[in-house]
Amino acid sequence: MNTPTFLWLIALPLLSSPLIYLIGQIGIRLRRTSWAYWGGFVALAASWIPFALSSHDLNLHGSAEFTYGTVSLRLDGLSLLLAALALVLGTFVAFYSGPYLAKETGQDKYYAMLVAMVGVMIGLGCASDLFNLWIWFEAMAITSYLLVAFYREQPASLEAGIKYLVQSASGSVLVLIGIGLVLSSVGTLRFDEIRSSTSSAPILIAAGALFIIGFGVKTALVPLHTWLPDAHSQAPSGISAMLSGVVIEAGLIAMLRTLSSLASITPLWGPILMGFGVLNMLIGNLLALQQKQVKRLLAYSSLVHIGYMLVGIGITLSLGGTGGAQGGFFHMLTHGLMKGLAFLSAGAFLYSLHIALGNHDSLTISDLAGAARRYPIAALTLSLAVLSLAGLPPLAGFMSKWQIFVAGFKTENILVEVLVIFAALNSVFSLAYYAPLVNTVYRLHPSEVVQRGSKLPIMMTIPLVLLAIAILIIGIYPSVLNWLTGPAGSILALAFGG
Amino acid sequence: MDLSVTNIGIFAIVGLLGVGFYGLLACRNLIKIVIALQILVKAALLGFITAASISNKVNLGQSIAITVIVADTVVAVVGMALAIQVRRRMGTLDIKQLSNLRG
Repeated sequence: MNTPTFLWLIALPLLSSPLIYLIGQIGIRLRRTSWAYWGGFVALAASWIPFALSSHDLNLHGSAEFTYGTVSLRLDGLSLLLAALALVLGTFVAFYSGPYLAKETGQDKYYAMLVAMVGVMIGLGCASDLFNLWIWFEAMAITSYLLVAFYREQPASLEAGIKYLVQSASGSVLVLIGIGLVLSSVGTLRFDEIRSSTSSAPILIAAGALFIIGFGVKTALVPLHTWLPDAHSQAPSGISAMLSGVVIEAGLIAMLRTLSSLASITPLWGPILMGFGVLNMLIGNLLALQQKQVKRLLAYSSLVHIGYMLVGIGITLSLGGTGGAQGGFFHMLTHGLMKGLAFLSAGAFLYSLHIALGNHDSLTISDLAGAARRYPIAALTLSLAVLSLAGLPPLAGFMSKWQIFVAGFKTENILVEVLVIFAALNSVFSLAYYAPLVNTVYRLHPSEVVQRGSKLPIMMTIPLVLLAIAILIIGIYPSVLNWLTGPAGSILALAFGG
Repeated sequence: MDLSVTNIGIFAIVGLLGVGFYGLLACRNLIKIVIALQILVKAALLGFITAASISNKVNLGQSIAITVIVADTVVAVVGMALAIQVRRRMGTLDIKQLSNLRG
């Protein structure tokens, strides 16, 4: 049988995950705890080879498909976008976690789960029927539960893990019931067959609503977001970056896949997503404003950014045209890089101010006062990341928000224009909590915590600098990512008849 | 309404969902919460069997149900593992005493 190259893109991380665990265990016996780290990093770095090959194939021959029994996988523009995001962040996080976790036990499990999570997310993007999508989604959830509760000695991280598990598992039950409804009324679960069937609308609308709620728990749509700040703030910083940068976006892509197979049932999906976008922006901003812990602040700002993506994608869903979805996906990529950088920089401070000294207190904004004196690189990258999140030109966050706003104005629909202005105002509003953070970091007199802090390992600053350079380059040449966002946007627009 | 197999199935699904969500909201013991999650998934399993019998795809429905059992067991195992850790660290399984994260 002829196996397409993208299968290796999924298989390589998934197959290397148990190997990494074994290597890690052998390493522990031989007192070489860094073996698991190198195993994880090499596995993710090697996954770039099948990624490059399958992206090349996708350009030449269009989407590739692989079927084995009833399991069928399909690589298209949307899958490639998710794969790129997961691999970029996964590689950086794996590299960064080496010094960050050097003193912790359980590194073998950490890297095995991290690599498995990346593989599973790539698979999630490629799923081409509802039930396979659910299986990948559940596998992603399971790997992330274990990673969130990594500090299993800490009551707070256990609490975050349990909250996340209970909410996410209830969400996935709702998705299952939605799949059951689709099966009962259409009799098939393949996306393309569901799309072409003409079946009774009310049951399928109910199924779509269940998909929005079920995947919405993972995507952190606003009334369903309560697990997010706890999980993001209690997980190891690398995992916070992964959760915020890719996992919630993977939930969004799963939701869009299911909704695009139900696109012809009702025109309401777009307005519903835009409504959640409004809630996410407003509530996310208001909650972020009152945070004192850096990682909780960044977690709430993820809600706001999901809101921008929903607005962009909702424009395409309800009014057609590829611009909105392209902007939304562009924001998904830039948000992954910016939020990844923000969490990793915050993690660098957390490491040198608290973890390296052996305590697990959370990092508050006041701890960071004057940190730029001792940690100039981490301070600069954190400031760049949050300013880019706030949408200051010429950084990446400005470009992606700009693209969404332009798409909104091009529709010449008064409601969408009002919505876009509201989003722009929210973007300005978000400076109210980003600017004080930058201000605190650059204060003249270092706080006591900073003076007591330990040295920042040089290995930890390398990913920070690389990500910061990426944000600058994307801000100046936003078209470098068009090869990813263009095809993904047009797939969504095609499904919704744009 | 006649008592066909489909109708009994639908009643049972709604009933199980009700029990499961009530358990999630009302129980304070971590193990009972994991059991409530299991009851919810059982409702979804029954849903698959019923849906498959409505659309005459019994084989598909049953194979899906068996796969869901596998995935769901892993979730239950992770939940129980967390419960064991909570009990070891804090000496209790009461989630009210575990909730310190706010804001």
